[in-house]
Amino acid sequence: MKKYLRILSLSWQKGLVYRADIALWRFRQFLNSLMSLTVWNVIFAQGNDLFGYSKDQMITYIFIAAFLQGMILATSLHGLASRVYSGEISFLLLKPITLFSYFSTEEIADKIKNVFFVIIESLVLFFLFKPVLIFPEGGQLILFIIWTMGGVILNFIFSLLFGTLGFWSPETWGPKFLFFIFADFSAGKLFPLDIMPEIIQNMLFLTPFPYLSFMQTQMFLGKLDMTQTLHHSIVLLSWIGILSFINHLLWKKGLRSYQAAGQ
Amino acid sequence: MQIRFKVYWRVWKQVAINALQIAFVNRATNALFLTGKTIRFLVMLVFLFLIKNNIRTFAGYTSDQVVVFFLVFNFIDSTTQALLRGVYSFGEQVRSGEFDFLLIKPLNPLFRILSGQPDIDDIIFLIPATIVSGYLISTLDISLSISNVLLFLLLCINSLLIAIALHILIVSIAIITTQVDGLVWLYRDLTGMGKFPISIYADLLRFALFFIIPVGFMLTVPAQVLMGIKPSIQIAGTLLVGVGSLGVSLIIWKKCLERYTSASS
Repeated sequence: MKKYLRILSLSWQKGLVYRADIALWRFRQFLNSLMSLTVWNVIFAQGNDLFGYSKDQMITYIFIAAFLQGMILATSLHGLASRVYSGEISFLLLKPITLFSYFSTEEIADKIKNVFFVIIESLVLFFLFKPVLIFPEGGQLILFIIWTMGGVILNFIFSLLFGTLGFWSPETWGPKFLFFIFADFSAGKLFPLDIMPEIIQNMLFLTPFPYLSFMQTQMFLGKLDMTQTLHHSIVLLSWIGILSFINHLLWKKGLRSYQAAGQ
Repeated sequence: MQIRFKVYWRVWKQVAINALQIAFVNRATNALFLTGKTIRFLVMLVFLFLIKNNIRTFAGYTSDQVVVFFLVFNFIDSTTQALLRGVYSFGEQVRSGEFDFLLIKPLNPLFRILSGQPDIDDIIFLIPATIVSGYLISTLDISLSISNVLLFLLLCINSLLIAIALHILIVSIAIITTQVDGLVWLYRDLTGMGKFPISIYADLLRFALFFIIPVGFMLTVPAQVLMGIKPSIQIAGTLLVGVGSLGVSLIIWKKCLERYTSASS
């Protein structure tokens, strides 16, 4: 346990080394939330019920989406593929800790940092807009937390999957860019997925993207009944299972062909 | 002067051909980038048309006009990205000392930094996106006149000057700090706020988006002029900001360049 805490502490410190970068990054997230809140305040000036959302629900959606982006979508493993391709993971393979435990601990440190900043940003936005936020009941809140953990695991598996690209190619930005576009679209702060035409929603629900934030927001807003909750819980678990299996196979195959060239 | 222009044009042409060849080598990656950009553009349009179908006005603008604000943003932003993508790799050039090689060449180093890596994906994306935008504008309830279109094109050039000025500021800071990524992405997010008319934002932010980072001059005023709406700031003032910001950024660039130590090489 001690070694994990040590890695956690080091990752936390490493994450705070480039303070100007962090400040700029967080300021950008703040601006995005500010834009979304402003746009929806303007839209809701014409009525209190649009696209199946009340004004309070939509504003709550933006706050929760901002929190979930920091919690689920932000990751310290963006550069994993280049770490693999450059042979940098050789040092990690020699450590008395499994690769995935090391990455998980790095991720936890990153999530703590993100959530800390998101809370500060949300407080500032709260005082600027003074919105009425909707909070779920006890059971829903617990399910929201569980689904959020599910989303964190799902995104972690995605990050690892992108990392495996580094075993075979230095070109990893194309698929990642497309992933970001889909993630931003299905879990974005500007608008919720369910205001989109049904055909687009149906297509996206064939993918795991709605489970990277959107479904969690719906749980928080109390928009799901018992059957839907059960259905989506099974789908979320299935995606985690399927992608974990693929991830396991790809890392096994990748590590077998890994040559640590240049190290 | 004409000879120098020819030299710069020849260099840019060669750099663009190189970028095109690189794009063809990494065909799959570039196809994914292009797909991503297209999806992002289409999704935003779907969102705006949903707004258009559900509300009549948006902060004093008609919902048709809001669509035009986005289309103008997309046109100016994509053009800027297509031409100035070289800035994104400048931090690495400073850190590795590669920047020294640009300084000893008989060309203005700023020219190579800014235009040294044209984005082929954005250039390809711009063609269908502009055609779609033109078509959509023709279907919207917007009154266009030739004089407004000509003024709009003039203001687009002015927007490019403002964008160049902001990119020069970013590379100037990068000379001192060796970091460029955070600032470039901040620029992208600030200009992203121009997808909607700047007048929707709170007073302080609106002031900042006009007079500190002139996104309003760059994106909102051209769209207003195109639609024949009274611009937030007079056209002459907007042109003055374009030329002025370029002048100021060049002075800052020179000052920063004097502080360059070439420590990495």
